[in-house]
Amino acid sequence: MLNCDEYLTPGTLDEAFDLMERHAGGYRIVAGATDVLPWARQGRAGDVHYPALIDISRVAELEGFERRGDRLRLGANVTFSDFMNDPGLREALPIMPQVAVWFADDQIREQATLAGNIINASPAADGTPPMIALNGSVTLARRRGGKRRERRLELVDFVTGPAATRLEEGEILTAIECDLLAGYGTAFEKVGHRRSLVISTVCVACLVKLDREGRRFEDVRLALAGVGPVPARLDECESFLAGKPVAAESVREAARLPMGRVQSRTRREYRREVVFNFVERALVDALAALGVDLTPQEPVLQKVSHG
Amino acid sequence: MSAKKRGRGVAAAWYGIARTATIDRAGAWAELDDGGTAKILTGVTEIGEGILTVLAQVAAEELGVRPEDVTIGDNDTARSPEAAHAGATRQTYMIANAVALACRDARTRLDAEMADHWGVDAECIRAHGGEIWAEGHNMRLSMDEAVHICKARGVVPVGSGSFTADHTGLDPEDGSGRPWQAYVYGAQVAEVEVDTATGEVQVLGIWAAHDVGRAVNPAGVEGQIEGGIVQALGQALMEDYKLADGYTSTQGFAKYILPTSLDVPQVTSTIIEDPDPLSPLGCKGIGEPAMVPTVPAVMNAIYDAIGVRITSLPATPEKVLAALQDKRRRDGEAAPGMAAE
Amino acid sequence: MASLDMHATVNGREVRKPAGSHMRLLDYLRDELNLTGTKEGCGAGECGSCSVFVDGVLMKSCLMPVAKAKGAVIETVEGLAARGELSVLQKAFHKTGASQCGYCIPGMVMAATAALRSNAYADREEIKERLGGNICRCTGYQKIFDAVELARDVGNGTLTARALEAVDEERQADSFIGSNVRRIDAPSKVSGALKYAGDMVVPGMLHMQVLRSPVPHARIVELDVSEAEAMPGVEGVITCRDVPGTDGFGVFTHDQPIMARDRVRYVGEAIAAVAAEDLLTAKRALARIKLRLEELPAVFDPEAALAPGAPVLHEGAPDNVVMRIPIRKGDVDKALAEADLVVEESYATQAIEHAYLEPEAGLAYLEADGTLTIQSPSQNITHHRHMLSKILSLPINKVRMIMSPVGGGFGGKEDMIYQGMLGLMVLKTRQPVRYIYTREESILSTAKRHPTRTRCRMGLTRDGRILATEMKLLADGGAYAMSTEGVMRKAAILAAGPYAIPNVRIDTLGVYTNNTPSGAFRSFGALQSEFVTESHLDICAEKLGLDPIEIRRINAMRDGAVTHTKQTLGSVSLLKVLEAVEKSSGWEPGPPGVRGPERADLGGPGARRPCTLGARFRKPGADDKQEVA
Repeated sequence: MLNCDEYLTPGTLDEAFDLMERHAGGYRIVAGATDVLPWARQGRAGDVHYPALIDISRVAELEGFERRGDRLRLGANVTFSDFMNDPGLREALPIMPQVAVWFADDQIREQATLAGNIINASPAADGTPPMIALNGSVTLARRRGGKRRERRLELVDFVTGPAATRLEEGEILTAIECDLLAGYGTAFEKVGHRRSLVISTVCVACLVKLDREGRRFEDVRLALAGVGPVPARLDECESFLAGKPVAAESVREAARLPMGRVQSRTRREYRREVVFNFVERALVDALAALGVDLTPQEPVLQKVSHG
Repeated sequence: MSAKKRGRGVAAAWYGIARTATIDRAGAWAELDDGGTAKILTGVTEIGEGILTVLAQVAAEELGVRPEDVTIGDNDTARSPEAAHAGATRQTYMIANAVALACRDARTRLDAEMADHWGVDAECIRAHGGEIWAEGHNMRLSMDEAVHICKARGVVPVGSGSFTADHTGLDPEDGSGRPWQAYVYGAQVAEVEVDTATGEVQVLGIWAAHDVGRAVNPAGVEGQIEGGIVQALGQALMEDYKLADGYTSTQGFAKYILPTSLDVPQVTSTIIEDPDPLSPLGCKGIGEPAMVPTVPAVMNAIYDAIGVRITSLPATPEKVLAALQDKRRRDGEAAPGMAAE
Repeated sequence: MASLDMHATVNGREVRKPAGSHMRLLDYLRDELNLTGTKEGCGAGECGSCSVFVDGVLMKSCLMPVAKAKGAVIETVEGLAARGELSVLQKAFHKTGASQCGYCIPGMVMAATAALRSNAYADREEIKERLGGNICRCTGYQKIFDAVELARDVGNGTLTARALEAVDEERQADSFIGSNVRRIDAPSKVSGALKYAGDMVVPGMLHMQVLRSPVPHARIVELDVSEAEAMPGVEGVITCRDVPGTDGFGVFTHDQPIMARDRVRYVGEAIAAVAAEDLLTAKRALARIKLRLEELPAVFDPEAALAPGAPVLHEGAPDNVVMRIPIRKGDVDKALAEADLVVEESYATQAIEHAYLEPEAGLAYLEADGTLTIQSPSQNITHHRHMLSKILSLPINKVRMIMSPVGGGFGGKEDMIYQGMLGLMVLKTRQPVRYIYTREESILSTAKRHPTRTRCRMGLTRDGRILATEMKLLADGGAYAMSTEGVMRKAAILAAGPYAIPNVRIDTLGVYTNNTPSGAFRSFGALQSEFVTESHLDICAEKLGLDPIEIRRINAMRDGAVTHTKQTLGSVSLLKVLEAVEKSSGWEPGPPGVRGPERADLGGPGARRPCTLGARFRKPGADDKQEVA
């Protein structure tokens, strides 16, 4: 059970900071609340009480998104359903609908924010790998002595471990920035124990761009979650593939490289094989989105006739 | 690249109807009521399987009214006659038959009065869908009118019934005995797709055939088959109540994984009717039998798809992939990602 | 408990009523506005039964702190049926038989409503995706999908409203037996009007909470409830000391006290209960109960429980055996020696949770004439009343059990788990008392399907006839006997399958451990034992080069067969059901795993496409693999 003395809903960032100062040491920031309410239950945190819950879901400065040159700035209150339903976001981030449709379910997507998913920092978080692959960074704002300060951290540095980030007391994550890419094929793969509303065991985000002739890899982005305490950017794959010919063999060789990253204490053998298979599949699917078909010739089904 | 492989498996099953190795019983009361409606009172425990509707249909048929005319009273130890519990796939068998007997008893009273009123033999009285008539004679009334006449003659058309299933206990040495008087049989074929990259299994289709004796409500029987299959699918692939030193790690639905709308196969059901000769209605049951062949059908299908046999449930992606890895080692094949030995 | 200012428009009505600071929107709707159609199935956003529209968007109200919805326009299931007439979608649910126990149905109706509002032409794949956040445990979803498709077609004009009505056949059938009469309880379920025990309210009722054991095996050294009793707002506290009669319940063996007596035997066992004016006070009072336990050596594996020197859980069972059931026919050893093929294998099945969408709940009170009445979703009120009259020392006709609508049972509500505590609390406080389990409490403390380990040996002739089957099944019965005897019996009788086998040796054994008790669960041991036989038959089929249906035909019982318990059967329909699935599935014969690449049976009608998500993005006619963002 989650309880509080006051539930506060600031309308601006300054109001939010006012409240945070007033309740210093005794508040918790809430956005969609989709992580905190399941957490405050028996078997996890149990009954939890905060003097103040500060709900930032109506803070004006955290709304919306904006193109800034070759970067996209996402307000912290952008939800997973926005990635699926907002035409501007779908165009700017074609990988994100693929991520969002695998994230939880319709209802939770409406409430859950990308920022919340990043801050919750589950090792299997779905939202973080694509943002890492897009050179994501986060903007953290604080107010001291009436003056507002911002700092920006690379997303790979922001998440430090399970449920651990560099967010400090008094800070609010206000925005996430990432690359705006055009002409990339994208893929997102996830494995879990069922097809919907499922926590990932492993997930991979992949974006691929080919050279003008379409014969060599020009740029590859790969990020993986579920094999260690934090999601990882697969630099070794990316640099290996840059300039290589688009062929099944180079994809396979690249997919081997991250197998050594598997640090999870549980299900190690499983995750290593899944990592290889998934990275390979993600690359193949991203290429398929560009019209390049690398699937091998042996078909899954051989139909002679249908009765 | 790792392929998605498909396969098929079959399994058969049998099940006994009503309480095991002990006599079973159920009682019911019936009354033909004003307006040609009916009241049924019995200790029926509707848990979603649709037994209330089944009883309304049986009562309607036996009494000569329509299902929407039948009211079934609440299950209340202080108000309704004992019909024992919901379980052992017994309610259709035990309670529908008890209700049929009670309705026949009520009709005996009504028919006797109507026969006398019309001056005909009671044997020629027929009723259906709210009308009552004397076969071979030109006399017909609504059930509403008939009940009115009966009551005006000082008789309330009530009835009661008790149905027995005569089972015996088992011999303590060799188990011999007659644990049930009615058995049902079923079979299911499953088609699965296994993703050899991850070990994930999807069940794409199930073809089921189940003997239910006699289907009172076929859509209801299908609903039980479809629901039983999905519950069994959960056990086959994803559910696992985990305990370590007495403590569970699966305390909520985030960790205890249930099948969602996206996990269910297409289901094609065939209802087979081999009526039970020992009961008035011939119906048997479906609630539990529906889920007995599913798990082995799925495991047999996985074997057909990828050549590994899962003998320990659930067949999670980890187990399936581990079994594939073992098979590869035994067959001397290289693991994906490794150069061939 | 702090109070928050709260106002909103709910189903078209403006409401302004304070809310408790601990409340979610779900609690506000149910407890403050008495809109109980929206259900709590899990409280953690996993099951969808709490779904409501907030400013036109479907959300899970258990995941919304109440103040988040301040000023919002809210629509619950009660708002769908304007002036008493069911919506098109609700009628469609009624028509297709989409509602069974009904507990998930209001949330499912809301999700379906959202789906069709988003896309009035959604295909079945998209409908499935949009319902992906709602769990149903009863229906298997098929008829729910049918209902949404039907509503879609009526809504977008493809079909007329006539398609929603009872079929003509229903009205003028030659016989009502064999007719698809629509479920008589569906309208009350699709509208959210039906009250389950947790929805029932009696003025002045107390709220009960239960203190449960934090350890698997311990002696209760101290249990001091005085501080809890003295708390303002607390009306009663009960322990085993309050039980007036013979304190024991169960199905075959009455080995379980309604609250722990001297010892606790599993994590989650009830030790004491508190009834207070409100839920928060009851929870706080639990924390004031002084409990000191001296942990005892515990046993968690049935084999370990059978070993000499293992901790003994119950005085009446010094070897920790609950029940042993043998089936013997013929001479298995001789037959195995003569068999052309002997196959041996081990199998294991896991403990399963019933996971009915309705967590356990009950409302109990004294009638004017002093009769103790308990309303609960019990699957066996007859048996429960029997036991309660002995435990509470009341004449049996002074105990009244009323079955409240059951939101899913599957055997999990067959055992009497909490009704004893409820009844006792009413007797002590002389006031109505309500108790609702949280999902965690339900999973943690209530009975599970028996996990099993089985060793199976079959001996067959070269042409596929089974000469002998031997099976040894060991089941973990957990801390109390419950239905273990019955489960072992059923598992044994049905284990060898519907096959004419001349020599049979089956042994099932249920054992006590300090695990969560195992109890009744749909198919009651037969699922576990027949899983073994049916898997084993396929192994044998492969070794003999036989098709799996063929090997079953060869061995199938036929009319007049003698069973493994030496009962002579009448008509046996096994061959009919085998033939039926062979035809309907387009079965292609061949031994398991060796059917080779030239097969035509896969991927045909009757099998769905593998789920790849993204149906709502797909342009019509697009290839499965190309998902258009």
